[in-house]
Amino acid sequence: MDHLSEIELEELIADGSGDAGHIHLTGCALCRERLAEKRAIARRLRDAFEGIHAPASLGARIGLAGRASDRLEDGAVRQATQQRGAGRRSLAAAISAAAALIVAIPLLFYLTTPSTAIADLANIHSHNLSESGGFISETDPEMLAAYFKEHLGFNPRLPEPNHGLALRGCCVRHFQGDIAGSYVVATPDGIMSIIVVRRAPQSMGMTERIDRGGHAYWRSAFATSNMVSVKIGDYSYCAVGEISHGYLEDLLSSLLEQ
Amino acid sequence: MRKTAAAKLLTSEFENVALQHLDAVYRAAYALAGRRETAEDLAQTTFVKAMEHFGSFDMNSNCKAWLLRILRNTWIDQLRRMRIAGPAAPLCESIAAAGTEQDSVWSNPQDLLENFADEQVIGALSRLADEQRLTLFLVDVEGLSHEEVAEITGVAVGTVKSRTSRARAALKNCLAARAREMGWAGERRWTI
Repeated sequence: MDHLSEIELEELIADGSGDAGHIHLTGCALCRERLAEKRAIARRLRDAFEGIHAPASLGARIGLAGRASDRLEDGAVRQATQQRGAGRRSLAAAISAAAALIVAIPLLFYLTTPSTAIADLANIHSHNLSESGGFISETDPEMLAAYFKEHLGFNPRLPEPNHGLALRGCCVRHFQGDIAGSYVVATPDGIMSIIVVRRAPQSMGMTERIDRGGHAYWRSAFATSNMVSVKIGDYSYCAVGEISHGYLEDLLSSLLEQ
Repeated sequence: MRKTAAAKLLTSEFENVALQHLDAVYRAAYALAGRRETAEDLAQTTFVKAMEHFGSFDMNSNCKAWLLRILRNTWIDQLRRMRIAGPAAPLCESIAAAGTEQDSVWSNPQDLLENFADEQVIGALSRLADEQRLTLFLVDVEGLSHEEVAEITGVAVGTVKSRTSRARAALKNCLAARAREMGWAGERRWTI
């Protein structure tokens, strides 16, 4: 008996085509086993990659890279010019190129909500560093707590001012249509912002999970800022700064222990 | 008003046409590069190149295949530049060529494969030759047809089929060797 070739088996896996193959399979246990084995390998490989997703920050990075070089705009103009001359441009491509001239790359930042959330966190940190927009330059934890209570409605956890840590002030900012509390901590490794929001870390596009001390920490990055977020009660505490993820986690861990 | 309408149109088109494939491009980059950091850079370079040529992209063609072709070419360019082209005869391919597992069939493949962690399966894939690795990934993981893979990799459909078959055999060899190392085959009485 001639068994199915490897190529015929691949065709069966890919699209189930080949009547002759199906007929053969009904009477050949060996080829059925061979096919089952190949399908099992294919399925396992597919499953292995199921959890692999592009980091949310990648979309933003692509936008940054594109804007830095104006590739979309220049490329679209060049291509449009060349192809219009050659008379080969389709109507859809022409619309696309024309629209690209108008809106360019900044749109890419806002194509997905998670990327936007991460960008907004980085933006709040940036505003905090510039101490603009209602930032309260106050270092007394009790004063900060009173400010939060009045403007935010609750007292977020604050780090103990020791081990080289120092509070530098706080503010309440708008974040994704909600109110977020934010304060700045000076550390031996640099300045970081702690931003307290109602959204879960995952919904903000933080996909890299680190389990530590029975808690899930979520990492991300935007431009030069690293970010780590952890749930404490009903809120997510997001540490943002040009500081290592590990150090940001250390500080959040100290908040969890309070 | 016209600007707003055009902007909305581009936003919708770009999202539908290109960025919706970000995951697929990143996964393929990860399959090729084997490291997340490198995969991110590779995927980013791919999209930046895609932006450069977005004006010439035919909206009626397969954008995912277009992006994956750019990815493949970018990867090959990087390998050439860095002069680190993959080993001529990766270990798993050599084993496959020797036929150690070619004529055997696992008696209970699904159960055997469930023993492997995802990282081990991806690690085994990373030991295949570049073109085998990409071909098997595109067929099995992305579910592309042999014709689409042929278009991406620039070879004949028949070559894709034979390459897929060899890659699958090589992957099986890698996993089988690992199963023997772990003693799974003996414990669970697989016929390998």
